[in-house]
Amino acid sequence: MEAGALSTPVLRARRNLTDRIGDPLLRGLSGLAAAVAVVLLVAIAYEVVHIAWPAISKFGLGFLTTNDWNPVTERFGAAPFIYGTVVTSAIALLFAAPLSIAISIYLTELAPSRLRRPVATLVDMLAAIPSVILGLWGILVLGPFMHDTIEPALKSAFGFLPIFSGDPSAFGYLTAALILTIMTTPIITSVTREVFETVPGELKEGSYALGSTRWEMVRQVVLPYSRAGIVGAVILGLGRAIGEAIAVAQVIGGASLINASLFHTGSTMAAQIAAQFQGAPGALQQPSLAYLGLILLVFEVIVNVVARLIVQRGGLEDTDVTPTEAGAL
Amino acid sequence: MTKRLLSVGMALALTIAVAACGSSSSSTSSSSGGSSSSPLVGAGSTLVAPLMSKWQSDYASKTKETVTYGAIGSGGGIAQITSRTVDFGASDAPLTSEQFKEANGVEQIPWALSGTVPAYNVKGAPKNLKLNGEVLAGIYLGKITAWNDPAIAKLNPGASLPSTKITPVYRSDGSGDTYAFTNYLSTVSPEFKSKVGASTTVKFPTGVGAEKNDGVAAAISQTDGAIGYVGLAYALSNELSMPLVENSAGSFPVPGVKSVTAAAAAVSKIGPNNEISLAGLPSTAKGAYPISTYTYVIVPLKTEKADALKKFITYAIGPAAQEFGPDLDFAPLPAQVVAADKKAIAKIGG
Repeated sequence: MEAGALSTPVLRARRNLTDRIGDPLLRGLSGLAAAVAVVLLVAIAYEVVHIAWPAISKFGLGFLTTNDWNPVTERFGAAPFIYGTVVTSAIALLFAAPLSIAISIYLTELAPSRLRRPVATLVDMLAAIPSVILGLWGILVLGPFMHDTIEPALKSAFGFLPIFSGDPSAFGYLTAALILTIMTTPIITSVTREVFETVPGELKEGSYALGSTRWEMVRQVVLPYSRAGIVGAVILGLGRAIGEAIAVAQVIGGASLINASLFHTGSTMAAQIAAQFQGAPGALQQPSLAYLGLILLVFEVIVNVVARLIVQRGGLEDTDVTPTEAGAL
Repeated sequence: MTKRLLSVGMALALTIAVAACGSSSSSTSSSSGGSSSSPLVGAGSTLVAPLMSKWQSDYASKTKETVTYGAIGSGGGIAQITSRTVDFGASDAPLTSEQFKEANGVEQIPWALSGTVPAYNVKGAPKNLKLNGEVLAGIYLGKITAWNDPAIAKLNPGASLPSTKITPVYRSDGSGDTYAFTNYLSTVSPEFKSKVGASTTVKFPTGVGAEKNDGVAAAISQTDGAIGYVGLAYALSNELSMPLVENSAGSFPVPGVKSVTAAAAAVSKIGPNNEISLAGLPSTAKGAYPISTYTYVIVPLKTEKADALKKFITYAIGPAAQEFGPDLDFAPLPAQVVAADKKAIAKIGG
């Protein structure tokens, strides 16, 4: 009795103490963690601008449209790399998006349940291949295959198009785009698969009840219901494709000119930075590479914001589909 | 009131204790630094890295002093010594006058000697195909595009040459090998000099870029008709098939330590800032390999670690250190370069 009467105020006092310290501590620590992330982002952006400043003040916005990168004459421009980034990412998504959607439909609607988990795991594991290994595979296997088989076939069938003209080459935009396809497919697949799994069973059953075939059900229920999620997933893949540096640098052939032919060598912003930053001599080459980095950063921020907007508009706030880990910088 | 005073007092005590800890630890570290001297730190050239790692272990066992080296690339080495974040930088390309000005009071000292060699992969072409500077420049300018080009046939009388398309391969990252190769091509071909020029990265009008020596080697081995250039040591240790390149004497020396040594011996002119170009060889040097190159260490003229730096670089250019060279496909420095180096080392001061 006595002990009980005594312990209550003691407990209360103790709780008051933990309340007093615990809450501010939690707020302080978690606030600090959040602040570190924000400060880091601002600091990185500041530093990139700072390193790039000599190039920004020398070339201005004309940097974006200059089709040259010549360390000997110190004339630098971003056009060849912006072009390379856009072309390789666009082709990669052109292949990866339908492929990923098909895989996801198979895994959520068609595959026997025994197969679903192992196949999904294997597709996810594609994302675990280090990009440098994928790049090596590109040099040793995919590149020669493109040169010997794919590109000659494309050339003989569609050679009248400028994009399929010129000599087949193991290194170039097309090889890089296919490597990016392999890298983005598991990302897009894993997001679309999760989106497809959220499609309510009643809707699907309703569709079947109306006499739909499987294809009609997928086309009329699953795909429309998941539209925002699919777009978000594709943009997540786009963020990955834009930012990938090492594997692209290994297979794209490091040329600094715009060329209409997809067989031709070129480079992307991320690949150019990865290839040249360390050894860059001269007063302008490193600032110009940082300027490229700044453009890349802006690209990624835009992609991120667009993805966020689309996902929000689609009412899918719960599904966290934002390419936060896609940045190269 | 008393509680608050107590907590303030405790906080004060804690601050003092921490400050004391900090100062005591910093004083111990500085005193230990004084007794055995903090290690030298250097960064730069990847070409010199294998030789450097031999030097590091040998130097440590002889003098009990350690040298730390980061093989981050020549451009990085120049940037780091310019900002004085390292004690010495290493570069395969000599500093430009602009870089010299920016680095504000540094000196470059040639401390190792090697070469850059072309390598090729052409089905049906003979081994040790003969080429010369004009042909190489023509290939890299995109003017010579097939292996049975008359210019190549003329250098290889009687050889059967396939009509395979030539794919020139170059380094897409900054590299001392690119400098050595383009410096050589600029010397032999005025057209190459005006259209491309010499630097650690240049804009080739044609061809395929690949990363590092192994990337270039892989691109060559995977492409029929490819030709590229790699470091001498890399080419020899990987047994790439190398063409023979004609020198100024009209002979075709086998690339190796012997012919690089001959090239260094043939050039006695040491330029301003100890810059030595081996691209324009005299026509009397019969056994001299035409694409040989010095690699440099860059040191500040005024530094706190002057004594340690002098000691290490004197060791590096000395016979004991240079003897490691040939095993790693570096040629030993010729006597007149060592003499010039010693004069340069004497200028380093505190």
